[in-house]
Amino acid sequence: MRTVILASMRRHTRRYVAATLAVVIGVTFIIVTNALSSAARDGMVSGLDAPYANADVVVSDLDGDQAASLLDRAEKEGAAASVLGWAWLPVSRDGTEFGDGVDVGALPRDNTMRWQELVDGRFPAVDDEAVVDANAAKGNDVHIGDTLTIGKGRDALDVEVVGTVDSPSAMVWTAVYLTQDAQARWLERSQINSVAWHGQGSVDDQISDLSSAYPDATVQTTDAFVSDQQKVATNGVDVLAIILLLFAAIAIATSVMVIANTFSILFAQRTRDFALLRCVGATRRQVLRSIRVEALLLGIGSSLLGLLAGTGLGVGLVALIRDRAPGARLGEVSFSPVWFAGAFLVGTAVTLVAAWLPTRRATRVSPLAALRPDTGVDARTASGRLRIALGVLMVEAGVLAMAAAIAATAVPVMVVGGLSTFFGVVVVGPVVVPALVRVAGSLAARLIGMPGRLATSNAVRNPRRTAATTASLLVGVTLTTAVLTGLASGRSIIDDEMATDHPLDASVSASTGGALPAGMLSEIRDLPAVEQAVELPGTSASIDHHVGGIRLVAPDADAGELMRSRRDFATPAADEIYLPADAVEDGKVPNKVTVTVGGHTRTLRVAEVDEDWGDVAVIAPSVLADLDRSPTTQAIWIRADLETDAEDFSGDLSAVASASDATVESSLGKWAFVDLQLDVMTGAIVGLLGIAVVIALIGIANTLGLSVLERGRENALLRALGLTRRQLRATLATEAVLLSVVATLLGTALGIGFAWVAVQTMLRSFVADVSMSLPLGQLAVVVLVSALAGLMACVLPARRAVRVTPATGLTME
Amino acid sequence: MIETSLHQTTGTAATARGLTKTYGRGDAEVHALRGVDVDLPAGRFTAIMGPSGSGKSTLMHCLAGLDQPTAGAVEVAGVALQELDDTALTRFRRDHVGFVFQSFNLLPMLTAGQNILLPLELAGRKVGRDERARFEMVVEVLGLADRTGHLPSQLSGGQQQRVAIARALVAQPAIVFADEPTGNLDSTASAEVLDFLRHSVRELGQTVVMVTHELDAAAYADEVIVIADGRIARQLDQPSRDELVAALQGRGA
Ligand SMILES: Nc1ncnc2c1ncn2[C@@H]1O[C@H](COP(=O)(O)OP(=O)(O)O)[C@@H](O)[C@H]1O
Ligand SMILES: [Mg+2]
Repeated sequence: MRTVILASMRRHTRRYVAATLAVVIGVTFIIVTNALSSAARDGMVSGLDAPYANADVVVSDLDGDQAASLLDRAEKEGAAASVLGWAWLPVSRDGTEFGDGVDVGALPRDNTMRWQELVDGRFPAVDDEAVVDANAAKGNDVHIGDTLTIGKGRDALDVEVVGTVDSPSAMVWTAVYLTQDAQARWLERSQINSVAWHGQGSVDDQISDLSSAYPDATVQTTDAFVSDQQKVATNGVDVLAIILLLFAAIAIATSVMVIANTFSILFAQRTRDFALLRCVGATRRQVLRSIRVEALLLGIGSSLLGLLAGTGLGVGLVALIRDRAPGARLGEVSFSPVWFAGAFLVGTAVTLVAAWLPTRRATRVSPLAALRPDTGVDARTASGRLRIALGVLMVEAGVLAMAAAIAATAVPVMVVGGLSTFFGVVVVGPVVVPALVRVAGSLAARLIGMPGRLATSNAVRNPRRTAATTASLLVGVTLTTAVLTGLASGRSIIDDEMATDHPLDASVSASTGGALPAGMLSEIRDLPAVEQAVELPGTSASIDHHVGGIRLVAPDADAGELMRSRRDFATPAADEIYLPADAVEDGKVPNKVTVTVGGHTRTLRVAEVDEDWGDVAVIAPSVLADLDRSPTTQAIWIRADLETDAEDFSGDLSAVASASDATVESSLGKWAFVDLQLDVMTGAIVGLLGIAVVIALIGIANTLGLSVLERGRENALLRALGLTRRQLRATLATEAVLLSVVATLLGTALGIGFAWVAVQTMLRSFVADVSMSLPLGQLAVVVLVSALAGLMACVLPARRAVRVTPATGLTME
Repeated sequence: MIETSLHQTTGTAATARGLTKTYGRGDAEVHALRGVDVDLPAGRFTAIMGPSGSGKSTLMHCLAGLDQPTAGAVEVAGVALQELDDTALTRFRRDHVGFVFQSFNLLPMLTAGQNILLPLELAGRKVGRDERARFEMVVEVLGLADRTGHLPSQLSGGQQQRVAIARALVAQPAIVFADEPTGNLDSTASAEVLDFLRHSVRELGQTVVMVTHELDAAAYADEVIVIADGRIARQLDQPSRDELVAALQGRGA
C-alpha cells in the first residue's frame, strides 16, 4: 500500500494546496498568538520592579488622601517616599486638549527613588516644569520647550516640557510627570497604585509601623509586592491570549470545513481509483488506512509548515510593532514548547478529523458502485428528508432558545440558541443554498446570458459540495456582520449616553471682567464645523464658599435649541444656580451660595455642578435681570458637526477666541475619543475574523479549481462547440461570485438576526429601550468585498481552464 | 488526388497542406502528423481510417480548429484557420463546424433538447422560426422527438450519439467532424448512427468527416482516407472491403 499512498500523494499534491494552506494559516495563527502574548508579557513584567528598586516597603490599596499623608509622614520621619499613581486630567497645548484627558503622575521628591530614565533634556528643577514619556511625546507631537496647561479652572497649571523620559514599568507609567509638589494639588483625586517607602529601621519594623498607621492599606516587602504585580500583569496578558485563541479557533473551525470539503471532493474524484484498488484485491480496511495515512501525512507536513511560518511571522510582527508602536510596550518574544506542541497537535488533529467523514463515505461504496458517478444529495431520498427535518428542528429549537434568552436576558441560552440555529442552517444548506444560487443565477443569466446560465447549473450540480463550500464563508460573514451590527447598535447607545452627558458641544466664555466682542458670534458662525451658535447675556460676579470671581450667564430658550439632548440642560429655576465643576473644591459642593454683583446680592441653591458649559455659572434670565440691569455677552454656546476633526475644531475656535482672551470648552474630543475606541475595537475584531474569511475564500477557490479539473472534458466540449475563452472565464467567475455572494447574503441575514438577539439580550438590562442600528455602509462593503474576493478566487482556476486547448481537454481523463 | 478530382464540381470543404504536429520535446518527442496534404470534398461522407495511434484524432483536431498544428496550413469553408486568434477560431467553429465525439458528447446537466440547441445558444443566436423548424426536422429525422426533455443519463448510448448528431446538424455547419462516433456502441446502435450520418449527407446535403478504425463503419463512407504513422497512405473512392483491408495492411499502394 505504501507505493499507492506515495504515488497518489505525489499525483495530488497540487490538489492539496488549499487544504495545506488552511492548516498552515490556523497553526500560524496559534504560534503568532504565542509570540505576541510572550512579548506582551515580557513587556508588562520587565521593569515592574524599577520603581521599587531602592524601597524597603510598598504600601498599596490606598487612596489619594492616604498617599498625601504618607508623603507628610515621610517628610517628618526623614524617610523617602514615592507615590506611584496618576490623576486623569484635561491637558491642553495652545488651547487644544489632548484626547479625553491625560494621566499625570509625579517624580519622587527624593532623587534616590526616581525610576524614570531620562531620554532627552533634563529633569524638572521647579514646579512649573515637567517631563513627558518619550513615546507619548512622539505620539502626540510634543517637544521639549512646549507649554502644557494641566487641569482647568482654579487648579490649572502651566508647565514647560524640559525633558522626555522612558518609563520602565508598564503598570505605573504616565504620560506626563510633574514634580511631586506640583502634582500634589490633584493627589486627593488621583488613582494610587502604590507608595514606595524607604524608611529608618529594619524592614519588619517599617512594615509593622505602617500597618498600624494605615490599617486599611496593604503593606508588603518590595519583593512580595512586585511578584503580586507580575501576577496581575500576566493575568491581563493571558486574557488577551485567550481572546486571540478564540479567533484562532474560529479560523480553525473554518479550516476544518475547507479541508473536509477538499477531501470529499478529492475522494469523489478518486472514487474510480478506490474502486479499482478494491477490484484488484485491496480490502476496505487497506483503502481506508491508506487514505487516513495520506491525511495524517498532510496534517503533519502542513502543521510543521505552520510552525515555521508562525515563528517567522510572530518574530517579524513583534519587531514591526516594537518599531512602529513603542507605546504598545512589547518585550522580547519567547516561544514555548507547550504552545508549539499544542499548535502541531491541533493542526494534525484538525486534518484527521476533517478527513474522517469523507473517508468513511468514500470507502463505504462497493467496488462496482464506485464506478458510477456520485449523484449528490437528493432531497427525495430518506437521508435527504431526515437531514432537512433535522436542520429545520435545529433552527426551530435555536430560535425558541433565543426568544427565551431575550425574555430572561440569559446570555448562555442565547449562545446555545445561536449555535443551534446556525448549524441548523448549515445542515439544510444542501437544499437552501442551491435554491438561493438558482434565484441569484437567474438574475446573472439575464445579465450575461449563456455563461450565467452555465455557471448556475454548474454551481447547483452538486448540492452538498455547494453547501459545504459556502458554509465556511458563512461562518466568517455571519460573525463579521453580527459584530459590525452589534457594535453599531452599541455605538448608538453610547452616543445617546454621550449626548445625555454632554449635551453642549462647545462654548466660548469671556475672561473675568471682560465681555465678548459683538462680532465674535458671526465669526464663530462662519467656522465650517459650526452648525448653530447663540450669545448668552451675563455679568461678572463673586461667589462665596471659595468660588470667588466668576461670570454668570443666563441662557434663554434659544440655548435649549442647540443641546444634543436635555433641552433643560441649562435652565435653572429662579432660586437656583449651576456651578462649573472646576470652581468648587473637590467633594465640597455647598448647598447654597451667595452671589454678589456690584451692590446686589442673591442667595441661590446649587442645583447642579457640571463642566460642559465652560468656566461660567448658570442662572435664570429673571435672576440676571435683578442682579445686573445692563448685562453684556459673556459666552457663546455652539453646536458643531460631530464628524469634524476635534483638534481642528478647537484650534479654529481658539483662534477666534484668543483675540479677546476668551476661553474655549469643547466636548468634541470626548466624542472623537469614544469613536476612536469603538473604531479600533471594530477594526481589530473584523481583522481577526478576516483570517477566517480568507480561509473560506481559499476554500471557494479550491472547490472551483477542483471542479475545473473535474469538468475538463465538459469545458473542452463547450469550447469545441463554440464557447470562447472569455465566455468560459465569465462562466467560472459567475460561479465563484454566485457562491460567495449567496454565502454572504445568507450570512448577512443571519448575522443581523444574531446581532438583534444579542443586543436585545445583553443591552436591555443597561438601556431601557434598545434600538438596532444597521451599519448599511459597512454591510454593503462586506457584500462587495466578498463578491470581489469571489472573483479573485476564480482567477487561478480560470487561468488553468482556458489554457487547455479543446483537443487536449477532450482527451483528458 | 486523382480520386478527388472526380468531385471537383461539388468543391472542397476543407484542405490541409504540409500539416505537421509534434508533441513533447527531446526524448519524449512524438510526431503525430508528418506533413499531411489532404482535400476533403464537400457534400460527401469521408472516413479517415488507420490503426490506433496513427494520428487520426490529431488530424481531425487540426482540421476542425480544435488544436494548433506545429506547421502547415488548414483551410475550412474558405477560411485559413492559422490566421485566426483563439476567439475568432472559436466563433468560426460554432458557426461552421459540427462535432460528434466517441463519448462524453453531452453536458450532463442539460436535457437532450437543450444540448441540441447549445451551439445556437453559445452563438447568441435567437431560436426563431427557421431554427425551430430545423430543430423539429432534425429531431424527427433522428427519431428523438419524444426524448428532447430527457437528461443524457436517462438515454441509451445510441440515443446519446443521435442527440450529438442532431446537435452537430442543427446549426447547418459547413462540415461535421465525428471522432469514432460508434466506438462505444453495440452493432445495432452503430448501424443506426452510421445510417443517420449517411442520411444527413445524402438527404440533407451535409459534409461529414468521420474518424474510425472499424471496417464496418468505413463501409458507409463515400470515400476513405487511410493514414499510417502520421502520413496519408491511401485515398480511396468507395472502396470495397477487400481494397480497404489491403490498404490498411499497407499493401497495394
Ligand atoms: N497530448 C498528447 N501528448 C503527447 N502525445 C500525444 C498527445 N496526443 C496524441 N499523442 C500521440 O500522438 C500520436 C497520434 O495520436 P492520435 O491522433 O490520438 O491517434 P489515433 O486517434 O489515430 O489513435 C500517438 O502516438 C499519441 O501517443
Ligand atoms: Mg483517436
